[in-house]
Amino acid sequence: MLKPEVLNKLRAVVGNSHVLSEPEDMIVYSNDATILSAKPEAVVQPANRDEVAAVVKLAARYNIPVTCRGAATCLSGGTIPLKGGIVLELTRLNQILKIDKVNKIAVVQPGVITFDLITAAGNAGLLYPPDPSSMKESTLGGNVAECAGGPKGVKYGITRDFVLGMEAVLSDGSIIQTGNAVDGDMCGPDWTMLLTGSEGTMAVITSITLRLVPLPAVKKTMMAVYDRLEDAAKTVSVTMAAGIIPTTLELMDNLSIVSVEKYLKIGLPVKAGGLLLIEVDGVLSTVEENARRVSEICKQCGATEVKIAQTPQEAEDLWRARRSINPAFGQVAPCKFAEDATVPRSLVPVLVEKIMSIQEKYDVPIFNMGHAGDGNMHPTIMFDKRNKEQMARAEQALDEVHIVTLELGGTLSGEHGIGCAKAPYLRAETGATGYKIGREIKQAVDPLGILNPGKMFFYEGKLH
Amino acid sequence: MNKQERRQLIEQEIVKCSRCGNCRSICPVFLAENNENTTPRSKARLLEAVLENDIELTAGVQQRFEKCLFCKACLTHCGSGVATDKVILAARTAAAERNGISPMKKLAFTGLRYRKLFDLCLRAGALFQHVIFKKLPDGRGRAPRILLPGAGLNQRRIMPDMTVSPLRTRLPEFIPAKKADSQGTVLFFTGCMLNYFYPQTGDAVVNILTANGWNVVIPAEQCCCGTPAFTSGDEATGRVLAEQNVQAIGSKKYDHIVTACASCGAALKEEYAHILGDSPLLAASQNVAGKVLDITQFVLQHCDLTKLGKVPLKVTYHDPCHLVRGMQVSAEPRQILQSIPGLEYVEMKDASRCCGAGGSFSAVYYELSRHINDKKLDNAANTGTDYCITGCSSCRMHITDGLTQRHSPMKVLHTAEIISMAYEAGGKEGETC
Ligand SMILES: Cc1cc2nc3c(=O)[nH]c(=O)nc-3n(C[C@H](O)[C@H](O)[C@H](O)COP(=O)(O)OP(=O)(O)OC[C@H]3O[C@@H](n4cnc5c(N)ncnc54)[C@H](O)[C@@H]3O)c2cc1C
Ligand code: SF4
Ligand code: SF4
Repeated sequence: MLKPEVLNKLRAVVGNSHVLSEPEDMIVYSNDATILSAKPEAVVQPANRDEVAAVVKLAARYNIPVTCRGAATCLSGGTIPLKGGIVLELTRLNQILKIDKVNKIAVVQPGVITFDLITAAGNAGLLYPPDPSSMKESTLGGNVAECAGGPKGVKYGITRDFVLGMEAVLSDGSIIQTGNAVDGDMCGPDWTMLLTGSEGTMAVITSITLRLVPLPAVKKTMMAVYDRLEDAAKTVSVTMAAGIIPTTLELMDNLSIVSVEKYLKIGLPVKAGGLLLIEVDGVLSTVEENARRVSEICKQCGATEVKIAQTPQEAEDLWRARRSINPAFGQVAPCKFAEDATVPRSLVPVLVEKIMSIQEKYDVPIFNMGHAGDGNMHPTIMFDKRNKEQMARAEQALDEVHIVTLELGGTLSGEHGIGCAKAPYLRAETGATGYKIGREIKQAVDPLGILNPGKMFFYEGKLH
Repeated sequence: MNKQERRQLIEQEIVKCSRCGNCRSICPVFLAENNENTTPRSKARLLEAVLENDIELTAGVQQRFEKCLFCKACLTHCGSGVATDKVILAARTAAAERNGISPMKKLAFTGLRYRKLFDLCLRAGALFQHVIFKKLPDGRGRAPRILLPGAGLNQRRIMPDMTVSPLRTRLPEFIPAKKADSQGTVLFFTGCMLNYFYPQTGDAVVNILTANGWNVVIPAEQCCCGTPAFTSGDEATGRVLAEQNVQAIGSKKYDHIVTACASCGAALKEEYAHILGDSPLLAASQNVAGKVLDITQFVLQHCDLTKLGKVPLKVTYHDPCHLVRGMQVSAEPRQILQSIPGLEYVEMKDASRCCGAGGSFSAVYYELSRHINDKKLDNAANTGTDYCITGCSSCRMHITDGLTQRHSPMKVLHTAEIISMAYEAGGKEGETC
């Protein structure tokens, strides 16, 4: 528990009703979208940058850990207050400050829901492409802190490709502006990029300047069906090698197809070994041409059927299948490790095969699917946490997925972040020197070590 | 449900919660409060802590479970299929057993058990309501003269006029069809709101049925459906009422049961099976459940839409939670409204989002429920229509209150009333040609 003196000072900053400290609150704020859990000692909900700075200053003075929190949809334990202290909930900073149509720029507070920006940009004839599947809940602060990706990543890139600058509060309460609203800004090292993906360990983001792009004129959605999952995976690398960049290339294995079909009953090919959901966008002539070429490639690679959506409704049905994978997990088991293994696109077929064999080896169901177009796969391991023996096997399978990914020259996280869930493997990815530098950079930026302690380079458990 | 069964149900449901946070984008209470405490996932998390003996079922936990409209939006939105409604009910019941419920609710629910006494009280209430409430000049209802926080009465709140002659006292138990060749008999379960506050809706239902050749039977022995009691965790009262109703219905001869209150309908159709799980009346209640239709379902299936006459109104429609998610009725009212000649129908944004009434929720958290209601009123206003149609008297009361506070000219009508108007207009047209 924080000392009453500190609680009172916090209340003086943000108001009584925005400091939560009941035991029930501490339970409710002990989680994000992972299975992990640790209780804070208080939840503080500031309303603006100055309140954030004042809270952080207080925390620095009393040496209290501060863990930022957006919508807590994090899949790597980023919002879990491992060392107690304050959970700083930033969802009250939820204003879209500016949408500049001419310069194609948006300035937002960190608590803006991703989907709200996508909608507002759309109304202005612009597109904010990063579209994590959690976009209706997740916040832009959380997206930037995790460097979130999404299905459109293949063509447009991930959050980092859209962050131009930000305003943030450092661990002593001082305020820093990084970057600039100008695309070509190159004054020195890219501090903006240093904070992007820093998972709340370096600074509290209080405002973000984001790049927007023109809305594509048209798009075409299609579905390719395969007997063998491996052939679907192969299509991905062949397509990319042919120089075509679809907006989306989503892969689903048989388990995903069958589970979604059980849930939605929309006539998916339940006998198929795998399918690809492909979307191309741009101007009409290139979209037509690309759609034609992609469907040829699909057939060359062994697709038994390629269906091109003729109406927006048909396209929506295809997308619904992809979006319903999450709900459909429940058809297989109640709990899951949603993984984020990412490899060079050319190696997607190899990763897919390895995951198939891990599934057999540990005898746990694994959904083999993901944003295959940018190599970002989401092998999802299913289990029931009440069955300890089964959960242990699931954990072993998870270990092996991490190791296999790194062996293929891939990365632990294409978008979900490291947090504490994947921190044990971080040194294996960065190498000893990279790991040391990582620690030193964090120490330089947050010398007090109060921002999200125990995560990433400061994980205190066993390292691989 | 006994303690053991309740624990099992909770365990089996909350293990499914992946804490994905999907429910954040849908729960109206969360959207209004922006506090994790109000999300369904936090409720699952709290119960997990209770089962792990990390915390007891404290008043704090109980209060967090109270802050739910029971709108079932999370239920249909939850990717993992967590049966949040059952979990919340079970938790409320367990908490009520441990900590009790508010004295005001306790008094009210005890009153509900004694049908005749309850009836007497409400009728006396109608006679004396002017002592507490002043009538509003525009005839929309009454506003409290004094603050009655215990009764959930905020001084701003507009209540409908209580009728001095409730529907069931005014109408005979059996009303024959208006046509000679009767199609059969419909049992009309009126519920309290129609009986005491909106008898005109009850009249409309009877008109629709009899005009289409159906005899109507309104069992005098029916009582409150029990929803307010069991959703507050007072399962015992809920059970007494369920049994009384099943017996009252069982003693009649009928082909269909019609409801014009979403909560009554959902209770008869879905909830009684849980509440009467080990009662000798279970089989009878399942028989009842199989026959229940909302008035709009009944109209589509068993009435003549070609006889609907002109109603030149511009309307929008609000989906009551217990109708759209409780009884899966949403296409029917729209289809009927759209087949009324002369009627202009405009769909509002988020028509199925809860209006914030939530039974006793709006009594306990009046300001919050007004705040939730504001979104609904904005969406309704944006349609540019003159009438908001809905199939639930609680929604009607809450939306009317909001409109009055805003000095909006928009009016609220029950779906049955507009259908009845159309049949009356149709009848007149028939006469003239
Ligand atoms: C069903 C589901 C689907 C998902 N799909 C995707 C997907 O397609 N792509 C993807 O990339 N991710 C996905 N995720 C993961 C998650 O949604 C993203 O990581 C998202 O960016 C997190 O946003 P949030 O607002 O929930 O952040 P939180 O979970 O609240 O926080 C995430 C991290 O950011 C930090 N943080 C939050 N706000 C700030 C701030 N203002 N300043 C500094 N640090 C801050 C926190 O400390 C934490 O470390 C998914 C998650 C779920 C549950
Ligand atoms: S949507 Fe369902 S699974 Fe997801 S957090 Fe809410 S209750 Fe849990
Ligand atoms: S029933 Fe409605 S109010 Fe209650 S938790 Fe679910 S979405 Fe929220």
